[in-house]
Amino acid sequence: MTEVAVIGSGQTDHGRKRDDVSQPELVRQAVALALADAAIEPERLDAVVISNMELFEGRALPELWLGEGAYAARKPCLKVATGGTSGTSSCIAGYHQVASGLFDVVLVVGFEKHSEGHTQTGMALTDPFWDRAVAAGALGNFALSISQYMAERGVTQEQAARVAVKARRNAARNPHAHLQMPDITVEEVLASKLLAHPVHLLDMCPQSDGAAAIVLAGGQTARRLCPRPAWIKAAETRHEQPFIGDIDRRLASMRTLREAARSTYAKAGIADPLRDLDVAEIYEPVSYAELAWYEALGFCADGEAGRLIDEGVTEMDGTLPVNPSGGVLSANPVGASGVIRVAEAAKQVLGRAGEHQVAGVETALATGYGVYAWADALVLGATP
Amino acid sequence: MNERISITIEMAQSWGYASGAAMERFSAGLRERRIEALKCSGCGRRYLPPRPFCGNCHLELDDWVAVADEGSLEAWTVVNLPMLDGRTGEMREAPYGMGLIRLDGADTTLNHYLDVADPEHLAIGLRVQAVWRDELRGAMDDILHFRVLTEGP
Amino acid sequence: MNQSSPFEVVVAGLGQTGPSPADGRSIAEMVLPAVQAALADADLGYDDIDAVVTASVDLFDGLTASNIAITEVVGAVMKPETRIAGDGLAAALHAACQIRAGAYEVVLVVAHAKPSMADFQDLSQWALDPIFLQPLGLDFLACAGLQASARAAADPEAPERWAETAARRLNAADGQKKPATAADVLDSPLVAAPLRAGMCAPLADGAVAVLLRAGGPGPRLAGLGHDLDVHLPGDRDPAAWPGLTRALARALKSAGLAASDRAFDLAEPSCLYAHEEELFIGATGLEPKTEISPGGGLFGGAVPVAAGLARLLAAAQRLRADPACRRALVQGSWGPAGQGQVVAIIKAGP
Repeated sequence: MTEVAVIGSGQTDHGRKRDDVSQPELVRQAVALALADAAIEPERLDAVVISNMELFEGRALPELWLGEGAYAARKPCLKVATGGTSGTSSCIAGYHQVASGLFDVVLVVGFEKHSEGHTQTGMALTDPFWDRAVAAGALGNFALSISQYMAERGVTQEQAARVAVKARRNAARNPHAHLQMPDITVEEVLASKLLAHPVHLLDMCPQSDGAAAIVLAGGQTARRLCPRPAWIKAAETRHEQPFIGDIDRRLASMRTLREAARSTYAKAGIADPLRDLDVAEIYEPVSYAELAWYEALGFCADGEAGRLIDEGVTEMDGTLPVNPSGGVLSANPVGASGVIRVAEAAKQVLGRAGEHQVAGVETALATGYGVYAWADALVLGATP
Repeated sequence: MNERISITIEMAQSWGYASGAAMERFSAGLRERRIEALKCSGCGRRYLPPRPFCGNCHLELDDWVAVADEGSLEAWTVVNLPMLDGRTGEMREAPYGMGLIRLDGADTTLNHYLDVADPEHLAIGLRVQAVWRDELRGAMDDILHFRVLTEGP
Repeated sequence: MNQSSPFEVVVAGLGQTGPSPADGRSIAEMVLPAVQAALADADLGYDDIDAVVTASVDLFDGLTASNIAITEVVGAVMKPETRIAGDGLAAALHAACQIRAGAYEVVLVVAHAKPSMADFQDLSQWALDPIFLQPLGLDFLACAGLQASARAAADPEAPERWAETAARRLNAADGQKKPATAADVLDSPLVAAPLRAGMCAPLADGAVAVLLRAGGPGPRLAGLGHDLDVHLPGDRDPAAWPGLTRALARALKSAGLAASDRAFDLAEPSCLYAHEEELFIGATGLEPKTEISPGGGLFGGAVPVAAGLARLLAAAQRLRADPACRRALVQGSWGPAGQGQVVAIIKAGP
């Protein structure tokens, strides 16, 4: 397998409504920044992978129309779409393409322009005979799982609110984030509108317009072009049975993420995640999910997630900073969110995370999650 | 001063979804207030909704088992946002209770509405029972919602 | 490229459901037999699958994250699955990359569509530029018509040749019915002038499953290439397929073959419209000695999204059955007038 590294990344400023740009222009903004960061010209790209849940914008085969925004015209270009994991799955797809030796430099760009579609309609097009009859959307889905998780693992609304506070305060030092709230408090989160018990408005991720891109390169090229490439050491994906009720105690059990992480850690030589990882960018669509992911990712034992957030272990100055970028809780253009996780993890290794840089990062984790419990895990590091 | 131009296109599409043999039998049962699950000969898991294949064991399913229309509440929430009902295209008014229900005789849980919309009166472990509509069409919303019974074990 | 040996991945198993005009089963029920057949053909079980690459389009299936409908039957539960929202041959290309990367040894590729569910051409409008093209009511058929009309304008006798191509393909696909003639085709109604109904491959429901493997017996995927051309019809050469020319060049290079190599015994292109066969020959520079779709190709039933993978299946079947057939060129496409192109070179196994 050819060694593969992220040598650059770029993101748009994510926001509720980017009506200053068309979809192709939104893509172009992120791509132009990524190419500049990687110090390469568009001609150097051997292939492009696009990530987008186009049904949210009411579209089909969007790469046809907006591929040129990604400099994909007259180049090999594929589109990957796997719900919330689209972004991370696309990064893994790009990684496999470079690792195969067939392509040397691959651009992966993910985007979503929720403001140009009707996301609720997109989300409502679930299985027509079963899930669609009982409208819940992602919110209801999460809230149900959360009630089980709280009962089983004993986390409290305050602990979840602490996650939401951490995210938005971190986001205040991320110029691209949609929600930046440097002064947000636990009380504010708990006082915000109760959307679906026990989930408050400020516990939930926003719906954002935005795009993010990474440039992947094979070993020799990466070393030549980049002073300190962010090597992809391992990457794994796991999918799940299709219906909400198929998965018992979803957040508590989360077998897909547990297994993706276990397999990725084994390949990357991560024995104790809390100690061996320097930073993590994990895909947390709701505050409670981040607590569940601490356990699923082996940052702590089951039942200890609340303690981790209470003791500040995952704060910027803690043992393992989680989501210095502000996470999905601070910006969620669905097709881009997974790419943002990988881009942010890469930036930490590359030393390009600016105001939200964690000092001395050698190893970073990025994860993806989708409402169907599909999961991705990637480990990036300063050595291949 | 530049004006931002935008184009709006309305989409009106319809798709004919085939339910498949398993759901066809299940739907026929609903019309008689009968719920059936398919049991996997490998893992023994009794699946709702019924489907042709167990994704864990990679075995085709053909062993139908009876399932009660009552069971226990495994998860619950009260939704305060009106949600688009994908079936009717109409907004469902809030607040409304929802739950994951393990019907007696099934191993998967069923996501459905509850007749209680007050968090103070909902808890994991409560017994719930289906409330059927008068007119049955063989669809999941032939069950209007689940009625919360007395406290569970 | 920094690889020591040419790109080779074994086509180990083949399975297909349909094509049929309207499949009354659910998508999961329609896809399952194709997967089971591919596994049986390869003498493998679900537990042998390391990863899955699926191809489906949400809008065509009326289902968000449409691959959710088939996760169980393709063996993707607790396995890695990647979903390419494009032609199934592109999914096979990606699976080959995964194997070549050493990530997995056995990868199942599955593509499906059920155009009988909805008005496919109506849906195709949503794939066109929403600002400049969609408001005009353009769909994939109209774009094919525009392309055909540009060729006919330069060559007024072309439609007669297309009618002969269509009749040949229809007869090859289903010889039991009363044979179709070129005159029949020219008598059929205009659907997007100068394209007539008889010049269009009939849309069909179906699924194709192909098992790819790092080693073992069977035909080999020896070269792969894909391309996305520019989108607006006005920006494209209406009478050519430069995207296919580029994809073929990439496929030849990945196979370690000379750029001028055209030694193909067989070609299985995805010709949705009769005029595309000439486009295909022109863009690839294939010689007359190459047999093109002897079984009628997509005129036996064109399953959107799965078409290119169905062509791979047909070519692999021929390579297995006929020792005189040593090397085949397979093509898939997606989008208006073949904007997206994917090419595979397969050769007979040792």
